[in-house]
Amino acid sequence: MKRLNDELTAPLADRAQPTTETAAASPAAPEFERLLTHEDVDRARDRWEVVRARRKGAAGSFGGVRLLWLLIGPGVLVFLGENDAPSMLSYAATGARFGVGFFLPFVVLTFAMGFVVQEMTVRLGAVTHRGHAELIFDRFGRFWGHFAMGDLVLGNFLTLVTEFIGVRAGLGFFGVRPGIAVGVTLVIVLGAITTGRYWTWERITMGLAIFNALFVPAALLARPDWHAVGHAMLTWTPLPSGSHYEILVLILADIGATVTPWMLFFQQSAVVDKGLQPRDINAGRIDTALGTLLASTFAIATILATVPLFHHGINASDFQGAQFAEALEPWIGHLGASLFALGIFEAGIVAAIAISTSSAYAFGEVMHTGHSLNRPVRDAWPFYLTLIGSACAAAALVLIPKFPLEFVVLTVNVIAVLAMPPALAFLMLLVNDREVMGEHVNGFWGNVAGVTVTILLIIAGIGFGMATVFPKWLGG
Amino acid sequence: MHLGGHQAELERDRVMAEARQPDLEDPHVVLSLLESDQLVAAKRRTHFGPRKLSFGVRVLLWSLRVYVVVMMLLALISVLRAAHVIG
Repeated sequence: MKRLNDELTAPLADRAQPTTETAAASPAAPEFERLLTHEDVDRARDRWEVVRARRKGAAGSFGGVRLLWLLIGPGVLVFLGENDAPSMLSYAATGARFGVGFFLPFVVLTFAMGFVVQEMTVRLGAVTHRGHAELIFDRFGRFWGHFAMGDLVLGNFLTLVTEFIGVRAGLGFFGVRPGIAVGVTLVIVLGAITTGRYWTWERITMGLAIFNALFVPAALLARPDWHAVGHAMLTWTPLPSGSHYEILVLILADIGATVTPWMLFFQQSAVVDKGLQPRDINAGRIDTALGTLLASTFAIATILATVPLFHHGINASDFQGAQFAEALEPWIGHLGASLFALGIFEAGIVAAIAISTSSAYAFGEVMHTGHSLNRPVRDAWPFYLTLIGSACAAAALVLIPKFPLEFVVLTVNVIAVLAMPPALAFLMLLVNDREVMGEHVNGFWGNVAGVTVTILLIIAGIGFGMATVFPKWLGG
Repeated sequence: MHLGGHQAELERDRVMAEARQPDLEDPHVVLSLLESDQLVAAKRRTHFGPRKLSFGVRVLLWSLRVYVVVMMLLALISVLRAAHVIG
């Protein structure tokens, strides 16, 4: 084993460069044959399925549908993962505070911004076969790499804590004790990762993520005024009224509910682990668009589900997960409230899996240790230890009596937005780097969209900063 | 017969698609399905080297770093205020 490790880390004369040449056609093929790993074989198995489906798709049968089924995953998971407990609570707070109006199309806009940046990670992953953290360290050096990792680690850990808060609150509605709720979640996270196959992990997590749709029946039980919804979507009105500071914080929280650093790291690493290649980029785009569509629909549903609180003048400003469900019960019934609470529980579980995996991928990439869900635990124990360790630490914090849970929830989405501009700068520089991307560098409109998203986030952050320093200006 | 890149890809796809189950014990089959920079061995042994950071890029990165530090402090103040720790 040590010999193999030494051989694997022995330097080659050449720098990495984008290629679509198969490994079998490489001059180094005889050497590669000796150094194949379990991870390579599993990935090759997945690729064989894709090749077969692509061939059948070209022949005009249902192969095209099967091909799409095989290639979707990272995009759906990243967006449904980001519809996590604090995000759903932000949307719930939005609906309860402002009802149907400006925030409906605004949330759709934030998802469009999310699509723009996540599509770039698909291309980066498929072309370079490297994770985001690895590329930042390689291209910008350790100094800048450590900054990027610092932002990621802080944001990921705080977010992970909020997922367990969500899980605890969601099951709390049904009278489940916090220790049991958190324990069940840890068992599910462990169960998903111990399959030793990326494919199996992805399908299990997608199976869980689809329960994000629980917010749709909850919204329907709230009997939304569809005419008002259509009017708001088209006109962005009525505009929110009241404290400008509160509006700004909700704007920031809703952006942070859709565009965050962990998503960049997670989707790129998942694309690499799934084994996508440059010719799969279009499928990756469809996957990301599908994730965007599903997640934005469920986010809108969450806003609509809590609109009855707005109409009845219920002050939801201090509500946490279960309190929303309890407050909604008189208007959407026990079934609706239960669906809402289960939705918060599900959102916490899926995000806990995705975010802890994102941390583990980044750690493995930076430390140059095995970082694939296709690896058995004995071959990549630092990767799995990071994944489980971060989840256990976050779970333990949530169970500490008198731990300031609200403090963490208040901070997490705001921190995500504030940490996003540097993450986007690295992303934009990488995706415009011809040495890394070859012909797949960003086009003009991709750069316009990326820069626009970055500027919008900086403006939102500066607005938040001004409101914090001069709260009276905005009535805070 | 030597086939060009795209043709070789199509030929590989045809052979692979016709196989009911690939023999993944055969290293050549595994190598045929993966790109050369997709293998663990290749990734461990080659890296994209550091890029030259122009003055403009360094200014951008430093500006955004200062932005994040200032904003994090403001976020902390905001949360402490919300928690009524400070006035």
